Amino acid sequence: MKHSLTIAWLYPDLMSTYGDRGNVIVLQKRCEWRGIDAKIVPITLETPHSTLSTCDVVFMGGAQDRQQKLAGEDFLKRKGPVVKEMVEKGIPALFVCAAYQFVGHYYQPYQGEKIPGAGIFDLYTVHPGDQGKRLIGNVVAELNSDWVTGLMGGSPITIVGFENHGGRTYLGSKMKPLARVIRGYGNNGEDGYEGAVYKNAIGSYFHGPLLPKNPHIADWLIAAALNVKYGEKIILENLDDSLEWQAHNQMI
Amino acid sequence: MNLLFYITCFTAKLIELVIKFFRLGAGATWPGEVAIRLNPHILSSFASQFRKGIILVAGTNGKTTTALMIKTILEAQGFSVVHNASGANLENGIVSALINQTDWKGHVSADWGVFEVDENSLPIVIKSIKSIKSKVIIVLLNLFRDQLDRYGEVDVIAEKWQKSLQSLESHDQKTRSKNEVKIIANADDPLIVSLSKVVASKPGPSFANATAGRLEANITYFGLDDPSQFQKNVDHAMDSTFCPRCGARLIYKGYYYSHIGVWRCEKCNAKRPALDVWESEYPLPGLYNRYNTLAAVAVVKTLDIKRAAINQALKKFTPPFGRQEEFDVDGKKVKIFLSKNPTGFNQSLRTVLGLGAKHLLFVLNDRIPDGRDVSWIWDVDFEVLAQDEHVITVSGDRTYDLALRLKYAEIIKNLNFKLQKFIEPDLQHALKQSLEEVPIGETLYILATYSAMLEVRKLLTGKKIL
Repeated sequence: MKHSLTIAWLYPDLMSTYGDRGNVIVLQKRCEWRGIDAKIVPITLETPHSTLSTCDVVFMGGAQDRQQKLAGEDFLKRKGPVVKEMVEKGIPALFVCAAYQFVGHYYQPYQGEKIPGAGIFDLYTVHPGDQGKRLIGNVVAELNSDWVTGLMGGSPITIVGFENHGGRTYLGSKMKPLARVIRGYGNNGEDGYEGAVYKNAIGSYFHGPLLPKNPHIADWLIAAALNVKYGEKIILENLDDSLEWQAHNQMI
Repeated sequence: MNLLFYITCFTAKLIELVIKFFRLGAGATWPGEVAIRLNPHILSSFASQFRKGIILVAGTNGKTTTALMIKTILEAQGFSVVHNASGANLENGIVSALINQTDWKGHVSADWGVFEVDENSLPIVIKSIKSIKSKVIIVLLNLFRDQLDRYGEVDVIAEKWQKSLQSLESHDQKTRSKNEVKIIANADDPLIVSLSKVVASKPGPSFANATAGRLEANITYFGLDDPSQFQKNVDHAMDSTFCPRCGARLIYKGYYYSHIGVWRCEKCNAKRPALDVWESEYPLPGLYNRYNTLAAVAVVKTLDIKRAAINQALKKFTPPFGRQEEFDVDGKKVKIFLSKNPTGFNQSLRTVLGLGAKHLLFVLNDRIPDGRDVSWIWDVDFEVLAQDEHVITVSGDRTYDLALRLKYAEIIKNLNFKLQKFIEPDLQHALKQSLEEVPIGETLYILATYSAMLEVRKLLTGKKIL
């Protein structure tokens, strides 16, 4: 049987500032190279719920403030509840940077009221104040050990990327950290954690983008999507990832 | 001029001589840096000496080429010009260029100052020059995403510019006639249009070539009026498809490239303004260079320079370093295209493919002048290369990131048998190998980020800049 996946890309015209479309390209190509049909479905302000809720993987990236406001309002009122339901069902998702903040309980700006989030993840984000530095630079982190067992055999246990965020994110008890920072700042620059995992959904501050240089994470999302969709454990075919790991190792 | 001014000029001049004598560098930033530290108002003291005025060129892409075009046309008219040709475009670079051209007493003997200005430095430069008595012309070319780790997001820059341009307007109202500050703005960039309106939002006398009865007398709009150039596929690297005024999605009759095009907003009725300058002779290939040329033409037209004279000067124009600069190497041609952000890279790709490029070398560095974050290469539409066969080599500090991008654009797979050869982090080897592939008489096109472009020049000419 030929497998197929649909990848929901939330707000490609509003929330794709930092090369994050690379994540979507990588998901699509790594499916296609294994003979799995992969279709990218752009989900923007005008897209109906039904188009989103029938997708098999969800991706949402970073944005500028102005665009973030437009997307944020729509996400909170319309798309967020749909994505929450999908994540609860075990549909894999990747939320990067601004999207990672969006899916939490709230964002506390330096001045003014808390901005509510979609409450999909048990976490919150705080702006560090006008003296707080943005956390910028190359990052290396080691994946959470109880999560690594889900990866394809022989994969490295590190992830690499570039972070550029002002907000500090703190995880609640329902979340597991994705990784522990080896070099860089991660979620908040204090507790040493980077990213978060809930069911099959991942949040991360890593640009770079995340998936090209971390193909083990891409494959984990693809495998999870197939498992949920077809209700059986599907073993992914190995690909020649020598170039991917060369780029990965260069950053360590 | 006071004593501090003379001391500053003398010291800075001395530093410049020492730097050049001992070959410590180009002297493009340090003399200015020291001068500013000794005398923070040095730029205004210099600026007020120009006989005709000052022209500032700002925007993400095209500053260097546009500024050089303006300089070329003005000089052909017999004007003397001071210009920061080295591309050092922070305040210290502009002051260094001035120190280089003044005498030991800090006397500027020139008609015009033509300076390209870094996006972040525009407010500080505007502050220094806004009280001068002569003309001030500010060219606003475009705003694209560029080095997000260094500049922040496009909207952050736009906000800084807005505040700065607003201060110009209030200053203008109080102390001087309205005619002396002119804005030359890209009508096809919605964000630039909304910024330009900040300055000249009030009625004023119209100048020579503006439409009669026009309210925004101090703005000259340039843009393209050529629907045959509308893009079939929209670039991914788009920044402002939403109305800067009301936030609604903009409607485009067509995109020229990125978010540059013929736009309007159905909600608040904002739209691409009527064009004052839309055609010219174009000395360089590439749609982006049409915009650079139109901006330069718009500037000199406000100075009443005649079209025939402009065209004649443009015919003799040679591009600045690293911007379509051409070299001959053993009977083969090398053309360097500085490509430092998604929009610039997309435009370079489209231009070289239009020129029939077969041999390409891409160089990606991640040093401070390039931006440390290389994520942006995923916003470049490398997929256009899949349409044809090319010999592509990748090099630079982030060779493997770039190679990976090409792999996922599925253009590298037909080169698999010699893949390793074409992924060469050592730039000298990469340059040598890619040149070997080029037949005599044909051209190697090099697309490189800023520091990579300087390294390529150093390998080809022995010097980085000038």
